[in-house]
Amino acid sequence: MQPSDKNFVELRNITKVYPDGTVALRGVSLSIRYGEILGLLGENGAGKTTLMKILSGVLQPTTGELLVEGRRVRFRSPADALRHGIGMVHQHFTLVPNFTVLENIILGIERERQGLTGTLSGIDFESHVKRLEKLMEETELKVPLDAEVQKLSLGLRQRTEILKVLYRGVRLLILDEPTTFLTPLEVEELFKVLRNLKSQGKTVIFITHKIKEALEITDRIVVMRGGRVVGEVPTREASPEVLGELMVGKRMELDVLLRARKPRTEGRPVLEVRGLVVKNDLGLEAVRGVSFKVYPGEIYGIAGVEGNGQAELVEAITGLRKPESGEIVIDGVRVSVETPIDVYRMGISHIPGDRDRYGLVLEFTVKENTIIGRQWERSFTRGLALNWRSIARYAWEIIKRFNIVTPGIDAQARALSGGNRQRLVVGRELSKKPRLIVAAHPTRGLDIASTMYIRELLAEYRDKGAAVLLVSADLDEIFQLSDRIAVMYEGRIVAEMPAEKADRRQIGLLMGGYQVASQKA
Amino acid sequence: MGLASRILETVAQPLLALAIGLAVSALLMAIYGYDPVLAYKALFTGAYGSTYDLMETLAFAVPIMLTGITFAIGVRAGLFNIGAEGQLYMGAIGAVIAGAFLSLPWPLHVLVATLAGMLFGLLWSVGPALLKVFRGVHEVISTIMFNWIAFYLATYLVLYQLAEPGRAEKTYSVLETARYGVLVEGTSLTSVLFVAIAFNIAVNVFLTQTKMGFELRMYGLNPDAARFAGISEKKVIIVSFLIGGLAAGLAGATQVLGRPPTWALYGTLGNVVRLGFEGIGVALIGRNHPIGIIIASLFVGGLRHGGRYMEIEAGIYSELVDAVTGLIIIALAVPEVFEAIKRYRLKRRVAGG
Ligand SMILES: Nc1ncnc2c1ncn2[C@@H]1O[C@H](COP(=O)(O)OP(=O)(O)O)[C@@H](O)[C@H]1O
Ligand SMILES: [Mg+2]
Repeated sequence: MQPSDKNFVELRNITKVYPDGTVALRGVSLSIRYGEILGLLGENGAGKTTLMKILSGVLQPTTGELLVEGRRVRFRSPADALRHGIGMVHQHFTLVPNFTVLENIILGIERERQGLTGTLSGIDFESHVKRLEKLMEETELKVPLDAEVQKLSLGLRQRTEILKVLYRGVRLLILDEPTTFLTPLEVEELFKVLRNLKSQGKTVIFITHKIKEALEITDRIVVMRGGRVVGEVPTREASPEVLGELMVGKRMELDVLLRARKPRTEGRPVLEVRGLVVKNDLGLEAVRGVSFKVYPGEIYGIAGVEGNGQAELVEAITGLRKPESGEIVIDGVRVSVETPIDVYRMGISHIPGDRDRYGLVLEFTVKENTIIGRQWERSFTRGLALNWRSIARYAWEIIKRFNIVTPGIDAQARALSGGNRQRLVVGRELSKKPRLIVAAHPTRGLDIASTMYIRELLAEYRDKGAAVLLVSADLDEIFQLSDRIAVMYEGRIVAEMPAEKADRRQIGLLMGGYQVASQKA
Repeated sequence: MGLASRILETVAQPLLALAIGLAVSALLMAIYGYDPVLAYKALFTGAYGSTYDLMETLAFAVPIMLTGITFAIGVRAGLFNIGAEGQLYMGAIGAVIAGAFLSLPWPLHVLVATLAGMLFGLLWSVGPALLKVFRGVHEVISTIMFNWIAFYLATYLVLYQLAEPGRAEKTYSVLETARYGVLVEGTSLTSVLFVAIAFNIAVNVFLTQTKMGFELRMYGLNPDAARFAGISEKKVIIVSFLIGGLAAGLAGATQVLGRPPTWALYGTLGNVVRLGFEGIGVALIGRNHPIGIIIASLFVGGLRHGGRYMEIEAGIYSELVDAVTGLIIIALAVPEVFEAIKRYRLKRRVAGG
């Protein structure tokens, strides 16, 4: 069946401001046609998930309206959206692990039917099973209904999630990055299922950051960036190059001032990673054999859409996660670390992007925060006790040197703005006089002044001879700072090149999973 | 946050909570046909009205300011350690054994018996700590189990091993050389009060002035950042449990070595039972701060002692007295409970995002 031209759903001028002030959507309009598979493509943070949560009733828009089959609607909950035939499969799993597939699927339905006081005895399992078997037949979405979910592979769990939504009778199925945890074979099977659903007249929205997948399975692609729709193309007219450019933006006027003129790849590398394999929390290989070197006086930038193994790579290097295999050599010493302290003792600074979660304790004072991770150092202790006087002196020093705006050293870190919080983390880490700086998304979510300031600091320390490993999903940042650029995709470094030879569009393609012919890893 | 609003929060909030607790309790008493004004007068003059009453209130405060520490130091490390009850029984047993069966000169005997109580409490906290660290068993489950085991073990020991011949209802009394001195003749307040206060102050110093205390607080507030900073999760959990065990063990010892007239442990464990759980309320009212806990214990101790007068003077039967004092304690604890829930939610949101 071909997609029709009639609109099933229309989103008009949607904006969304989260309670913490984050503007996630800035006036998005989008229509979805009957029977199509629509690809929603964009980098991390583009607003894809937020938009679809609004469409599926999980979130309410700040402004804007929603039309289903031409009529204005307002969804107060996912149940409202389901009543209009719209259901979403979320990015993370929502199943109860020690329930069976069947129990998981009928869980929500039965509760709605019986209210909160309902008992299990009223459930007609048999009729559910019958109907589910029929549904599985039609959709070719086969799952063992009696199996406990925790015993299923991730691919089967994914199917269960889909089946669960379909069983609620949806006509518009939203899938948020459904291939993240799937093997290539499972991805193929998923696509088969989607084509099959389409042939039965269902409408599908497929969210992804992988250009290749968007091109393979969709009829039409809408590209989002920075909370806006920046392009829309019928898939058969789309090329990976155009999509890549839309995804990462066209801003080619690069600020190369910060960049060193030529890569310095002489001498002994400060950091050498060899054949590193690291598993993620789900036990899947997130880093699949990564090797690279970072030399003193250079910034080695790893570009890539988030979720391609960068987080696990950084965790392994900083001692937070044990690698499966491979080697990490720092200053010529092969490290096998038990805790991050061992790594820090070697003179490594770690600047995390998620400062509130990893870098700071918001309830602690500024003073206390300046010694996090350094509380064992001689200059801050007297025997087993902390030397608060010298800590206070040092805290003031950091505040002055890194231009941190704070009511004082005894104010809670919570009282600081995001930019100043990050300055605090960066200041603390850089004052260790590091030989190696590991910065992961160091300016995410910061105001422009703080962003520029932190980038300048990184460049300054690079010029002083530190080796900097920069991991960032922000291409501007990568291009502004890096001396060499690598691209990580699906756990591998798929390309590495001197920054002056790098081209934005090409990097965009690589990030989206396109191996450019002329490029060699 | 401005100074004014901070004062408002630290002073006005508990006062408001207290007012609500008193009002609800008054209503409850009125429903049952008692005069709330008379009852409250009996309660407060009973608690703080005379030197004698003040001393008794202080005597009630001693064990709960210590079991309050057990719960609080758990919370400060991000744990929900409700094992004070069992550790307290074991502490009392340890104090009885060392106090009644060793023969040492005063005051060495006092010291040894006190340390024995603390040691027993500490040992009883090792189980849940290790289960948590090595097997991932949640401390709520394990401490409840250990509380029950301690209850039956202590009851068995009291009735079959330590019972004073001919007086089956209690253990041997500890020797004169192992007793804390009574401070005011005719009251049950002894110098053990100073030991308890010193312990709380020491815990406060530990939390604010030492490296380990810093790490413990950091882990409790933000475990992710703590791991990032190289802090050993295992060490924090074990230390928190052990300090909690010491505190509860000491609490048990105070009731044997420092609370006339028994100088022993009853077969029903009647003179120690519930004191561990009472520490939870005390810790919550004291905002899990060692100094706040001292103040809270004076208040809760006052309710416990003064509550008796509600029975005597206003004729309210004891179950209702328990309900009334319980309601007041809950009302005072509610703000901290809300805070805790808020923190927990925040943590979950961060972790989930
Ligand atoms: N619950 C939330 N609170 C505050 N900000 C959020 C929340 N969820 C997402 N955001 C922010 O909104 C923006 C869009 O996020 P999201 O919709 O998840 O993007 P995508 O799915 O395209 O990666 C990002 O800047 C993200 O940090
Ligand atoms: Mg998303």
